[in-house]
Amino acid sequence: MSERDLQDVLRQLKSSTSYPDATKLLSTAKLTLLKLKALTPQPNTPAQILLLAREVFETGALTSIRAKDTESFTRYVHQLTPFYELPAERLPGTKSERSKVTGLYLLLLLTQGNYAGFHTELEGLEIRLGNNGELGDDKYLLYPIQLERWLMEGSYDLVWQSTTEEKVPCEEYGIFSEILTITIRNEIASCSETAYPSLPISSTKNLLFLESEGAVIQFAQSRGWLIRDGRIYFPNQNLKSGAEAGNEKELSQLAIENTLGYARELETIV
Amino acid sequence: MPSKTPHTNGNEPAENGINGTKDVEMKDDAPASLKGGRGKKSKEGEEEMTVVVPPSKSSKLSAPPRKDNDGDVAMDGPVEADGEDDGAVKIDPVAKAVSDIKSNFPLLDRAVALFDARFSLRALRSISSIRKRLAPDILAQVITETYPSTSPAAKSLLVALDRENATFSKPASTSEMEIDSESKASKTGKKDLKEIIPEVDIFLGILIQIYYLDNKINQKGAVFSAHLAERIHTLNRRTLDSLSARVYFYYSLFCEQMQPLPPSPSSPVVYLRPTLLSALRTAVLRKDVDTQSTIIVLLLRNYLSTSHITQADLLVTHTKFPDNASNNQVARYLYYLGRIRAIQLRYTESHQQLTAATRKAPSSPSAAGFSQSATKLKLVIELLMGDIPERATFRVASIERALEPYLQLVQAVRVGQLEEFESTLAQHGETFRRDGTYTLILRLRQNVIKTGIRMMSLSYSRISLRDICIRLKLSSEESAEYIVAKAIRDGVIEASLDRERGFMKSKEVGDVYATREPGEAFHERIRACLGLHDESVKAMRFPMNQHRLELKNAQEAREREREMAKEIQDGDLDEDDLGGEFEGM
Repeated sequence: MSERDLQDVLRQLKSSTSYPDATKLLSTAKLTLLKLKALTPQPNTPAQILLLAREVFETGALTSIRAKDTESFTRYVHQLTPFYELPAERLPGTKSERSKVTGLYLLLLLTQGNYAGFHTELEGLEIRLGNNGELGDDKYLLYPIQLERWLMEGSYDLVWQSTTEEKVPCEEYGIFSEILTITIRNEIASCSETAYPSLPISSTKNLLFLESEGAVIQFAQSRGWLIRDGRIYFPNQNLKSGAEAGNEKELSQLAIENTLGYARELETIV
Repeated sequence: MPSKTPHTNGNEPAENGINGTKDVEMKDDAPASLKGGRGKKSKEGEEEMTVVVPPSKSSKLSAPPRKDNDGDVAMDGPVEADGEDDGAVKIDPVAKAVSDIKSNFPLLDRAVALFDARFSLRALRSISSIRKRLAPDILAQVITETYPSTSPAAKSLLVALDRENATFSKPASTSEMEIDSESKASKTGKKDLKEIIPEVDIFLGILIQIYYLDNKINQKGAVFSAHLAERIHTLNRRTLDSLSARVYFYYSLFCEQMQPLPPSPSSPVVYLRPTLLSALRTAVLRKDVDTQSTIIVLLLRNYLSTSHITQADLLVTHTKFPDNASNNQVARYLYYLGRIRAIQLRYTESHQQLTAATRKAPSSPSAAGFSQSATKLKLVIELLMGDIPERATFRVASIERALEPYLQLVQAVRVGQLEEFESTLAQHGETFRRDGTYTLILRLRQNVIKTGIRMMSLSYSRISLRDICIRLKLSSEESAEYIVAKAIRDGVIEASLDRERGFMKSKEVGDVYATREPGEAFHERIRACLGLHDESVKAMRFPMNQHRLELKNAQEAREREREMAKEIQDGDLDEDDLGGEFEGM
């Protein structure tokens, strides 16, 4: 009985547009799965139900990411993991949104600044796909991987291009563009603070990917930069060198502590 | 039973046994392709050994101590003639092999009697010398000569060897024997079996495991190991601890080599996990350090082979690796830990662990596989940390060839040539992938760029962004600007940018000795030395009850001293008296 129920729910899910409706449908679907004992794959679960279960979770993941509910998205990803680990003869990989979901998850980790998690996930992918195909062939997976590389290198213009132009592989990925833009803008700002002695406002506009000079001024004020004669000065720069001088005292204290430590250790040895 | 001669024989391997243990364990991972050079009595069997195990290895993905296979392949050719070698070995020392195996039984006996695990370890070490001579007939002979024919343990061992019909040379009718077999039947509780202790059963079981492993009878080996593990569990004897560690070790090796091979999620290793985990729990409860450390290492290896890094990390955080585990296990543990940390971008930690692992790794050539892969990983981590590994690392004879791709990589990173880096990556991608360092090396791209920028900043006091862009083969001037800005922010270079005129201006490089850097490096080294001292003090071992002996000696010495003092006193008095008289005179 419940297998058909599940299919019904899935059909409704596909057509529903509002998030609250979808969540309600999803929780019924999950309840049904629970009754079928297929919330996590059991050794004796039939392939048909496994397929349905995976579809439910994938829909859930995509729905929650569309509604920007990252927590629930992460939960769905974790629930999907055991399904993805099943061998192909039990659950064929066709018709799966696997790479899309994984790619989104990678992107989420990236925007959260969780690089350790990102690479952990990536390592798994590398081994999984290493034998039968190049990782870069998949546009859903390639996108976050490239973004990460550019972010680490500092090629922020490339990151910017990939978020603004029509280079986003699908609509779900677009959700992250906004976050990414903010991230890179802050990164650039902190780089500029140390790299430039001063900047003219007009070119800062391009540098920070802002629309107008007004926005530049606003942004500069939010970061506490000084604006004089059409140029931006970075007060933090001087602060930093001052801080280093203040360290002098700390430094000598450290040296004393170390020396005392050595003396004590020497004593124990001799 | 064992005569005097084989006994001394048995001791000898124990001497170089330090290599020995490693030998056995490491070799399973990385059957050495070393040309001879093994520091032991090498017979014809030697070569044969190396051939028997290796080929399947290259397909394992994250198997750690893997040999560079080029060497292996080259070796395989000339020594193909397997059977021939076998024959040669058999003619030569059947009797000797049998007596060698048997010579270990008194060691095990002693281990039980004195409750000292060191004797069982010594028995285990001698395996490496027996290993190449193992054959079902020899084992069957040992069993039939050791056990009475009624013993169920002997039966099951013989069945495992396909030698059920072997005739027992010991007459089972002797009354003594009957007592023996009876007590065997109800052995669980009894501790003082006179003749055959369960340790011997398990020891023979391990030999059978090794025989299976060397001949790639994996399926059967796994089943047999499962039974063996089960038996150890029910026996529950502390003297079995070090043996049981070994049993689990081979058990897991069997699973690794069974189809489908590890990276696939349906590999038998996945199904082994619950067994290992429960064994780990038991070992922890019983404070069984050997099994505990072995199983933790096995589990880590298991998880990493299917790249379940999160699980491996959780295992590390939830278990405590025993402090007094054997050196080999510590080395392996550190290696795996270093690997996990590297993936998590915790390079400093990873580097520390890998350095420790390479240092703790046995220096014997038979463990070269381990030190190779540890060194490879360490090199990549060093590069990722922005250091350039020392040239000397690449000159060590045993690893020189295997490290060649890495040498090219280092050279590319050192000069900051992105192009060269990419071509190295393309050329040796397969090798890196096999070594499990590929993803880590991909991360190096940014380091190459940074080094390139640093070189330019050092050589030019002022350089236009356009030139930087051309030198580094970047896509656009804007990219170059951002990249340089980031490098300045990250402290890679001391410079400033001029946006209007589009150039990078380097600042004067200050005197390094004016900074705290040398002090820190110095401190680091002193700490390492002090740590070494502490460790070596802790590692010293004192024989049991020695202090009592010393006390006795001291007492005797004191008595002697007292006597002497008395004599001297007497003498002194005499002298004094004499002296006095002399003076008086």
